[in-house]
Amino acid sequence: MTEARLVEDLLAFIAAGEADEEAFNRMALAVFAHQFETNVPYRRFATQRARTLRTVKSWRDVPAVPISAFKDLTLSGRPPEECPHVFMTSGTTKGVRGKSHHPTLAVYDRSMTVNFRRRFMGDVERLRMGILFPTEQAMPNSSLAHYLALARSEFGTAESRYFVSDAGLDVDGAIEALSRAEATGEPYALLGASFSVVHLMDALAERGRRFALPAGSRILDTGGFKGQSREMAAEEFYGRLSATFGVPRRLCINMYGMTELSTQFYDDGNETCPSVKSGPHWIRSRVINPLTGQEVPRGSVGVLVHHDLAHFNCASAILTEDAGVEVDGGFQLLGRADGADAKGCSMAVEDFLRAARAP
Amino acid sequence: MTVGLMERAGHLPGLSADAVDWRTLTFRRGAETLDVAVPVLREAQVAELATRVRTNARACLKSRTVAEIAAAIDRAVARLLDRDDPWRQKAERLLPLVTGYDAEMVRLGLTGYLKTFRGPELRKFVAEDFANPAVLDDFQPMPKGGFARAFGPELLLHVWAGNVPGLPLWSLISGLLVKAGTVGKLPSAEPLFAGWFAQILAEIDPDLADCIAIVWWKGGDEAAERAWLGRADTVVAYGGNDALEAIRARVPVTTRFLPYGHKISFGMVARSALDAGKAGAVARQAAYDVARYDQQGCYSPQTFFVERGGRVSPREFAGFLAHELDAIGSKFPRRALSMGEAGSVASWRNAEETKGFADPGRALLGDPAGSWAVAYTDAADGLSPCGLNRTVTVVAVDRLADAVPGLAPYRAFLQTVGIAAPPEELFALAGALGAVGVTRLCALGRMTAPEAGWHHDGRFNLLDLVTMTEIEGSAERAADAFAPYTD
Repeated sequence: MTEARLVEDLLAFIAAGEADEEAFNRMALAVFAHQFETNVPYRRFATQRARTLRTVKSWRDVPAVPISAFKDLTLSGRPPEECPHVFMTSGTTKGVRGKSHHPTLAVYDRSMTVNFRRRFMGDVERLRMGILFPTEQAMPNSSLAHYLALARSEFGTAESRYFVSDAGLDVDGAIEALSRAEATGEPYALLGASFSVVHLMDALAERGRRFALPAGSRILDTGGFKGQSREMAAEEFYGRLSATFGVPRRLCINMYGMTELSTQFYDDGNETCPSVKSGPHWIRSRVINPLTGQEVPRGSVGVLVHHDLAHFNCASAILTEDAGVEVDGGFQLLGRADGADAKGCSMAVEDFLRAARAP
Repeated sequence: MTVGLMERAGHLPGLSADAVDWRTLTFRRGAETLDVAVPVLREAQVAELATRVRTNARACLKSRTVAEIAAAIDRAVARLLDRDDPWRQKAERLLPLVTGYDAEMVRLGLTGYLKTFRGPELRKFVAEDFANPAVLDDFQPMPKGGFARAFGPELLLHVWAGNVPGLPLWSLISGLLVKAGTVGKLPSAEPLFAGWFAQILAEIDPDLADCIAIVWWKGGDEAAERAWLGRADTVVAYGGNDALEAIRARVPVTTRFLPYGHKISFGMVARSALDAGKAGAVARQAAYDVARYDQQGCYSPQTFFVERGGRVSPREFAGFLAHELDAIGSKFPRRALSMGEAGSVASWRNAEETKGFADPGRALLGDPAGSWAVAYTDAADGLSPCGLNRTVTVVAVDRLADAVPGLAPYRAFLQTVGIAAPPEELFALAGALGAVGVTRLCALGRMTAPEAGWHHDGRFNLLDLVTMTEIEGSAERAADAFAPYTD
C-alpha cells in the first residue's frame, strides 16, 4: 500500500466516527505493514521481538517501541529529509531530544480537530481563546505549539491571542482579556501548558486578582510541570484553578499527549482526581508490566502502551514511561513509572548524571 | 488466605510502651502481611530518652572495658548465629517478608554478615583503628611523651537507611566499641533488626542495653529530626546526598557529622582470568555479586570492565555472566519489584536494546521475564549506573588501566572494585584506582561482604567517633612537685 493510500484510508477511518474491534484491527495491521516495510529501524526492532507480518495477527501483537527509542533511532518510514514537519520532545536529562517525523500533517491535524471538537468544544463552534504557550513560529518543532495554533485557527475567534512571548508571560494582557470576558459575559477559553497556568495563577494571587468567568468558559491544561514551575498535586491544582478563574472543575480539562503520538487523550473535567482519560476510536491503550510486556489484571497499576493509528509514519505503538490503571471508560494516569528511589545505598541514575554534570 | 503478623519495633529503655504513640508500617509478600508498629515520640519523650541514654552511658559504659563490651556483643551475635534460637528464627521468618528478598539468600546473608561481629572479629575492628586498643580503657603512654585516652561520644545518633537486612549493626556496634551511648533511627524499609539486637542485648546484659535507644521518625520529619540532632554529640547518617544535605543543615555546628552517601561500585576482569579454565568461575563470582541483595548495596557492582585479548573475549564473558545470572535466579529468585522499580529496569533495558539496533558493537542479553539482563558494549563507555535489580553492563577495554581516567569525575561516588587480576597488575591498578577515589578492592564474589574492620568509604569506623584526651608531659612532670612523696 502506498503512503498516499494509507493516509486516505486513515482519514476515512477517522471520519467514520467509530470502529469496532474488527475494524480497528484491520486498520492497525495495515499501519503495521506499512511501518514494517518502510521503516528499517522499526523492522529491526520488530524482528528482534519475533513480530513480523506473518506473526502479528492482532493490534495487540504490534510491538510497542519504548519512547526512549525516539532519542536513539530515526523512526521514520519516509527518509527524514523528505519530512517537512519534525516534532521534538522538550529535552531530557542527557540533552538528547526524541523526534517524530511527519511527511504530512493531514492525519495529525484531522486527528486533533475531530477529537478536540468533541472533547473540549462540546456544542460550541468557536470561543475566544487565551493561549499560555509560545506560538508555532517561536517553537517550530513543538507539537504542543502546533496543537494550540490549530486550536486557535480552527476553534478560536479572531480576537483570540497568545500571552506568552520572548518577553515572557503577559500577565497584564491576560488580566485585560479575563476582565473583558467577565464584563461582556462572552464565554472564554484559557489553554496552555500546566506550568504556565501555575505561573499565571501565582502572578494573579500576588496582585490579589480573581475572576468569575462567564458560564460556558473552560480551561485546558497539559504537559505537567516539567520542573518549570513548582509541582502541584492535581487536587490542589484544579481546586485553585477553579477558584482563580471561576470555572467549574468539570470544565477544567486536562489533555494528555506526547510528541511521540499524533492523537491526544482528554478527561471529562476534574471534579475528582485522578480523572479518567480516554481517546477517540483510532487510538487504544493497554496497561502492561513493563518488564514482561504482559497486560496486568484490570484495575492493577502498570505502564501505558498506546496504539495510535494516526501516528502512521514513525511507530503507531509506543511504550510510555507513564504509570496508569485501566478503569471504566478509560484509564487513570498516575505519573511517571521510572521515578523509583533505590531503597539501598546503591546510586540511582539521576544522582549519577547530576554528579557527572557538576563542575 | 491472608496471614497477618504483628511486630513492635524499636527499643526504648525506661519508656513504657503505653506512653508512646505507635504508627503501623505494613509489609506484604504474597498472601502474608506484617504490620510493624514503630514508635512516634513526643518532644518531651525525646528529651527524657536522650538524658537517660546519656546518663546510663556515663555510668555503665564508661566503666566497662572494651573487652567486656565486646564479650556481650559476641554473646548476642552468637544467639543470632544459632539457628535454634528464637530470635534467629524470627529474623529468618520476618526479614524476607519485610525486604522481599529470597528467604535462603537472607539466611545465608545473615550468617555471613553476623560472622563479621564475633569476638575475634571485634578485636580486628579495634585493632584496625587503634595501634594500642587499651587507649579506649585508660590513659596510655604516647610516643611523643605524656599519656592519652580515647573517649567516644556520650550520645551518638545513627540515622540509618537502606534495604540490606541488618545493615545498621555495623555502625551500632562501632559505637558500642568506643563506649558511646547510642540512639539509632530505624530505616522504614527494614525497621526490625536493630531493635531486635538491642533486645537481645537486654536479655544478656540489661545495663548495656539501657545505653541504647532505637527510635523512629518519618524520613524528612524536620521537627522530630531536629529534636534528636540537637541532643547528640556525634551524628552518623546514611542515605542519598539530598537527604544528607538536609540533615547536615540541621546539625548544630558543634556536633560532629559523619555522612555516608550513596556510592557506585564496579568489577574488573583481566585477560589472565579469561582462559577457558578460569572464566566460568570468575563469571559465577561476578554474578553472585550482582545478584546478592539485588544490587541495593553501595558495594554492588553496576559495570564490569573486561579486558580484550584473553582466550575468552569480553563478549563471551558477557554471555558467561548472563548464564550465571540465569542460574542464580533459579536458586535465589529476585524479590518482587514495585511498578516503579520495574519501570527503571525496563527503561534501562529498552535503552540498551535500542542502542544495539544502531550499533552492532552492542548487545543486550536478558531473559524474557526480565528477571536479569546483561548489556554488552564494545564502545569506550565508562562507568554508568545500570537499572539495578540484577542488571549490569560489560564494557570491553584493551587494558583495564584504560578505564581508570574516565572514573575521575565520579571520585566522590566511587567505592568498591571487585577485581580478578594477577598480583602485579592488582597493585598497579590499586594505585591508580585509589588515586581517583576508589576505597576498597576485593575479590569477585566478595564485593557485598566487606571484612571486619573494613574502612567504610575509606574512613575509620571507630577512630572517627572518638576524641583524644591528652595528659601532656609537662602536667605529668609538674604533678610530681605536688606529690606527698616530694622531698
